[in-house]
Amino acid sequence: MAWLVEDRLKPYQSKRVEPYLTPEIKKRVAEKYFPRYPTKQAALLPLFHIIMHEYGYITEQAIDEAAEFLEITRAQVQDAVTFYEEFRLTPSGKYVVNVCRSIACELCGHADIVEKIRQVFGIDPGETTEDHQITLFEVECLGACEQAPCALVNEDLHGCLKPDTFVRHLQQLPAEAAHKGNGQGH
Amino acid sequence: MAFAGPVLLKRIPDDPAKRRLIRYSDYCATGGYEALKKSWTTPPEDIIKLVVESGLRGRGGAGFPCGTKWTFLPKDLHPRYLAVNFDESEPGTFKDRYLTDYDPHILLEGIAIAAYANRITTSYIFIRGEYHHEAKILEEALEEAYANGIFGKKLPGTDIVHNCYVHRGAGAYICGEETGLLEALEGKRGWPRIKPPFPAVAGAFAKPTIINNVETLACLPDIVLKGAAWFKGMGTPSSAGPKLYGISGHIHKPGVYEDELGIKMSTLIEKYAGGVKGKYRAAIPGGVSMGILGTDQWDAELDFDIGRKYNVLGLGTAGVIVMNDTTDLVLMLRNIVRFFAYESCGQCTPCREGTAWMHKMLNRIVAGFGRPRDFDMLMEVGLSMGSMPGTTICGLADGANWAVKTFLQKFPDDFKSRLKPEQVRGVTLTPAGATV
Repeated sequence: MAWLVEDRLKPYQSKRVEPYLTPEIKKRVAEKYFPRYPTKQAALLPLFHIIMHEYGYITEQAIDEAAEFLEITRAQVQDAVTFYEEFRLTPSGKYVVNVCRSIACELCGHADIVEKIRQVFGIDPGETTEDHQITLFEVECLGACEQAPCALVNEDLHGCLKPDTFVRHLQQLPAEAAHKGNGQGH
Repeated sequence: MAFAGPVLLKRIPDDPAKRRLIRYSDYCATGGYEALKKSWTTPPEDIIKLVVESGLRGRGGAGFPCGTKWTFLPKDLHPRYLAVNFDESEPGTFKDRYLTDYDPHILLEGIAIAAYANRITTSYIFIRGEYHHEAKILEEALEEAYANGIFGKKLPGTDIVHNCYVHRGAGAYICGEETGLLEALEGKRGWPRIKPPFPAVAGAFAKPTIINNVETLACLPDIVLKGAAWFKGMGTPSSAGPKLYGISGHIHKPGVYEDELGIKMSTLIEKYAGGVKGKYRAAIPGGVSMGILGTDQWDAELDFDIGRKYNVLGLGTAGVIVMNDTTDLVLMLRNIVRFFAYESCGQCTPCREGTAWMHKMLNRIVAGFGRPRDFDMLMEVGLSMGSMPGTTICGLADGANWAVKTFLQKFPDDFKSRLKPEQVRGVTLTPAGATV
């Protein structure tokens, strides 16, 4: 897990007028998730899955609003949010391609997949193409070792990858993704 | 009585083309939820006794006896929670995903039985964030189960209304550790807790909590229907019952197969997985934290005694990864250590720093700059971390410890041949005490 330290010299992001936690999101969380747990804080993961789904990344303002909504401190929200890999604090492309790099995938040639993407799209892991279409990440085990090498494109698992066909699939993805993030809203 | 046929996978056909998601009606038509109905007419204490007698041990890695775990719950302390550990993140492990992909109701029935036996108020299925498809399947299956009165109503004989929910993780291996999981459930950073108090006394929301693996719970319906003696008839005396084996790597037919505990790894590979691609060299018995089986351990029996017999940590999740003789084991160990370095939660210094140091050392060896002392240093750093040496809170570092230890012990020449004496300004340094 990465350790993220807040840069206090960085100017605070200007507030946007309309809230990230829209009344609809709040209503949905309050009706669906609050009754499930004895504390409001426990709805933090579901809430941020929804935020990732709606916006594709998490802003400081969203963290502030979530703290107020869940009735905990901003530090508690930031503490939790920065811990989890799926919660990203920077915007990414429309399609997030998570290529698995763990042992079974390395045995079965994950390096060829990453190399092919690097050649064709000109991006290294962690980078986004200039047209904001694809962001490439290398991640640890996706739990699909029988289909190695595998990758998760937004929410969809692709297994038994061949470099050429996978890159062709990525090139043919529609210009607009079904949603912004790779966290589904349920 | 030996293994007569699949138990957990009985509803999933062998032929991939015929596999379909089993819905509530199909599940009931094939004897589903009969066990739950039977258990509802049995006193809860008897079910706990039955599970203790069956010798069912946890399928999530540690192999702790399931029934014994249940008896740790303090009497008359409510509410109680059940956390289902579906944070299947150990590299090489995918058995729970496979089971849920096709037969989610076997898990839900197991949950309902465990909830009745232990007077559980709420069950949370903690599923890892990457399993989008499986989370959807579970949500749909839960809707069906709620509609048919499996959940959301009073447990027979009590006033406790039992609910079951899916809680999605967000990408952290450490949340598979039971107290890390509870922290994530509470909406906090997934840092494992210091024990005691154990979760059975003060777990989720500081209330008594049981944490069971998906496969463990999926074993319950058949135990209730067929009895403890039937269950004990499979496997070995210390490792009873059927087991899902996930197998991947250099083999012809990777996938999930079911057999009794204690079958030989060679049987698993040759009978089920279509044999090794090339010539067998080494294998990981159950997820990367268990260490490695050597070339001469091809016939290792896959049961909970494997650790004692074959110098590995244990059976783990029985996610076998096979490597042939073209595999570079230094690269494989680097991959494993990088995994632990990346997934270390950073709470305990020996794990956070130690895994990163070992990753650096292995990078150095892979790059051709390995020094003779690196071999001993890797071993020393590896052995110093984990909950067994007593330097960390949880067992994540034990995984790195055992991986490094067993790789170096069983394949020393692979590493030593990559090390060469260090040179400073053209002068070769000689280790102290070495004869020149």
